Amino acid sequence: MAKGQRTADGHQRVWDCLIVGAGIVGASLARRLSRFELTVAVVDKAADVGLGASCRNSGVLHSGINYRPGSLRARLCMEGRDTLQAWCATLGVPAATPGKLITAHTKRDLDALDALTAQGEANGVPGVRRIDEEEVQSLQPGVRALAALHVPSAGIVSPYAATIALAEEASLNGVAFFLQRTVHAIREESGTFVLDTDTGPLRGRWVINAAGVAAATLGQTADPALPEIYPCRGEYLVMDREVGEAMRTLVYPVPPLKAGGLGVHLTPTTDGNVLVGPSAEYLDDGEDYACTADVLSRLVDQARGFWPAFPREKVIGTYAGTRAKLTPPGQGGFADFFIEESSRHPRLVHLLGLESPALTCAPAIARTVVEEIMGARERIERKPEDRLVPHAWPQRFDDLPEQEKQAQVAAHPDHGDIVCRCEGVTRHEVLAALENPLGVETLVGLKYRTRVTMGRCHGGYCVPRLVELLRNERGWQPDRFHLKGPNSPLFAGFAKEPGDA
Amino acid sequence: MPSRPPEVDVAVIGGGPAGLAAAAAAAEEGASVRLIERSEDLGGILNQCIHDGFGLHAFGEALSGPEFAHRYIARVLAAGVEVETDTMVAQFDRSREIVLTTRGTRQAMSARAVVLAMGCRERTPGMILMPGQRPAGVYTAGVAQWLVNEANLLVGRTAVILGSGDVGLIMARRLTWEGARVLAVLEKLPYHSGLARNVQQCLVDHGIPLYLSHTVSRIDGADRVERVAVAQVDEAGCPIPESEFTLACDTLLCSIGLIPENELSRQAGIALDPITGGARVNEQLMTSAPGVFACGNVLHIHDVADWAAAEGERAGRNAARYAAGEPIGSESPVAVRAGKGIRYVLPQLIPCSSDGLDLSLRVDRPARGVRIAVRADSRTVHDVSRTRVHPAEMVRIALPRLTLSPGVSIEVSLQ
Amino acid sequence: MSRSTLTCILCPNGCELEIDWTNAPGGPAVVKVSGNSCPKGTAYATEEITAPVRTVTTTVRVAGGIRPLVPVRTAVPVPLSSVTACLKALRAVVLTAPVRIGERIAADIAGTGVSVIATRTVQRAAPSSKL
Repeated sequence: MAKGQRTADGHQRVWDCLIVGAGIVGASLARRLSRFELTVAVVDKAADVGLGASCRNSGVLHSGINYRPGSLRARLCMEGRDTLQAWCATLGVPAATPGKLITAHTKRDLDALDALTAQGEANGVPGVRRIDEEEVQSLQPGVRALAALHVPSAGIVSPYAATIALAEEASLNGVAFFLQRTVHAIREESGTFVLDTDTGPLRGRWVINAAGVAAATLGQTADPALPEIYPCRGEYLVMDREVGEAMRTLVYPVPPLKAGGLGVHLTPTTDGNVLVGPSAEYLDDGEDYACTADVLSRLVDQARGFWPAFPREKVIGTYAGTRAKLTPPGQGGFADFFIEESSRHPRLVHLLGLESPALTCAPAIARTVVEEIMGARERIERKPEDRLVPHAWPQRFDDLPEQEKQAQVAAHPDHGDIVCRCEGVTRHEVLAALENPLGVETLVGLKYRTRVTMGRCHGGYCVPRLVELLRNERGWQPDRFHLKGPNSPLFAGFAKEPGDA
Repeated sequence: MPSRPPEVDVAVIGGGPAGLAAAAAAAEEGASVRLIERSEDLGGILNQCIHDGFGLHAFGEALSGPEFAHRYIARVLAAGVEVETDTMVAQFDRSREIVLTTRGTRQAMSARAVVLAMGCRERTPGMILMPGQRPAGVYTAGVAQWLVNEANLLVGRTAVILGSGDVGLIMARRLTWEGARVLAVLEKLPYHSGLARNVQQCLVDHGIPLYLSHTVSRIDGADRVERVAVAQVDEAGCPIPESEFTLACDTLLCSIGLIPENELSRQAGIALDPITGGARVNEQLMTSAPGVFACGNVLHIHDVADWAAAEGERAGRNAARYAAGEPIGSESPVAVRAGKGIRYVLPQLIPCSSDGLDLSLRVDRPARGVRIAVRADSRTVHDVSRTRVHPAEMVRIALPRLTLSPGVSIEVSLQ
Repeated sequence: MSRSTLTCILCPNGCELEIDWTNAPGGPAVVKVSGNSCPKGTAYATEEITAPVRTVTTTVRVAGGIRPLVPVRTAVPVPLSSVTACLKALRAVVLTAPVRIGERIAADIAGTGVSVIATRTVQRAAPSSKL
């Protein structure tokens, strides 16, 4: 199957299904729909998939303990976690089940633990156990708590790897990806939908609005009465992988009442780092991913609160993401997911308020849309199994045992050249990532596919190596190097016009 | 790891000034030496340091970095050192087994002695919790230097530089000389970190303002840097919000500190000093792992390459002696501590009796007309006076012949 | 009368020099130097005020080499006032590989009488791998 590039005739055809938003939910939808005899296209304004909330969260595969029994979130979480784990296993996307400690630090927290235990039971979360301070120490030395709930089924997944792998697999199976294309409005025109984009219209019979924090604004162009989304930003600290060696359980102190999120927690990642955060601040601009001095220093203080030996000097980076909340400031808390077909416009489906645990729920949200909403209106034919093209997220060279590394280097010489010293990424891995089905060429695209620049030196060693590689091997000119898209060039040009003709 | 018979007497990890000098000195002592360098060329960071000022002490000449490297490379080749470039050490074990990797080959080797000379890396804005967005156009000064000098790439057109260390000052001039505009250099401390000569020749010469007690309080720009917010800082180093102003620019260079690159040392379980960021060593520059020596920026951050190279020579010579079976280190070494006014002292362990040895140290604040005292318990065993000391400039003291009682505590302090 | 301060760079003492000088018809003239602990400081201060010199270090383009640039420096310092002209002149130069360390790549740069030398060797690139 050809690469999912922009097609010249994109303006003329009527797609069976257009998905706005290439985050984890859009990618999950694409993957599900790629199994059917449908023409599907995903549209995203960024230069790569997953650059919104999907690469800016805690990467948690939630157990289901946090959600009101009977709610959509609870049900979709329990379904989604099984499917997401299966998809990750099939695709080779990193995932693990380190378990979670929900820690109590006050009397009120202890009561909350009781409530959570009951909720867990009602949702079918297995193995939840109340443990004392001593056992907390033995499971996660250094963390202070009065008591805790141990939730062994809580897991972690690489959210950007999952998004990219699902999207790339969908692309290999015929889904078109229109990247760097902003949708301004959704209109209905004699029974089909028209997406007005900055580079011409796209037409489809179905439109799934999975546009994340922008979904309400976009959706309201067709359905003015749609609920509002209230962006709520969360900032994080990223800890050196050295810290991850000793910190292998999720630690979630019971969150404060009326918080915009689940509170500041510690999350080990599948890459071996530890995340501290997120904070929760409502703001107007849902795409303002700045970190702020006050919040960052508060994160340090809060982490110290339950981890007295918090190693501040091991912080290697910061980042922020925005939750698409349906509950306004002042109210805080959580609303349930909004997964609804438009009443005015059949076949237009809006997905609003997909904040935590939407990552965990993504496959289930996709199934709900495809089977319950789309399937209710028409019979969609499945592709035969033998026509499905499998995809594999490449196993990281650095994760291989030493003997295997040596064999791999002998078989593939470019594995012997380590381009990213901190993360052990090889030249072979970088060149392979450049061949991605979506045609992404940005530094961030390489970053999420290989981990280059994500190490403690944040590109100090590997950026020069990458520049050398791309210029010498691929003849890239200075203006081809971009951080995340066409508006983020790395260079202003040559320092001096080159001497060669 | 299974032990394997050593293939060489001395393996030197890193081909910058310290590693080059160590390899040359070890080979000149008669050892078989293998020098392992991850870049295509020997020279390390010197290759991108095209400015002059190197070699004033070593050769009595003002050379550029590449010329300084060239002298040592010639010595290395003349001494018969086996050089492996484009080769990285992927793993290192305190038993001195080394896994090397290069295009097409990844294999283990072993040496009788090892010299660690891996140099350093730069502190990143993420590590100092720099607020704001994460656009293109934010570079550490060393990376920008490589891009401009080796790759012929202009990092931007209008820059602000955070940090008045020598790398930041040099880059202020470099960017100006390549046609970019440098709006300001900001320094968080109330005094500049780099050499006075560089302040004059890089900033004053070009009318680039230096804002002391200032920092970048925020980076603005979602895709590419659009501006930085600059604020004065208080005594604790915290930005004072009312003082904040913005500078429109497309580039921010961060010259905010160098960190010894000790990942391999940590993996090998070698004891590190939290203040220097490098290994704890004795007077022969041997670490807590027998037969493993450290020198140059991986041991502590140097301000003058000549001294990094001199340290490398000592480490290389001692490594060669160790490989030849000579005893290195002493039975009951005495610990040396940094006292008042001193940030750190090297080596951290000295023998009870010696014919004289050198201490390297850094003070923790600038001062004039000081005495540096070395005390064994309460007895002053040596003191020197200095007209001027500065944290950016390493101080070297030659201790006289000493006899100390084992278990005594040595402290170096500023009066 | 103007006053400038300068940190002397000739030895680690780093004396803070205070220089009183005037704008005479022939150029700046030093009236008095104070703060130095030795006579070299006076000479340095005088030079810095009346006829400051600088070593120019930059890169020059190379055609057909394994690297696109060769680092160069003026063999001896040139007048500060001529630095801009030197840089402009060197920006126009394109050398052909190989360039050897120490090789003179320009003479009498910008009319200063000073040579510019290469400070690193740049070998010729194999035909298929030209940059």
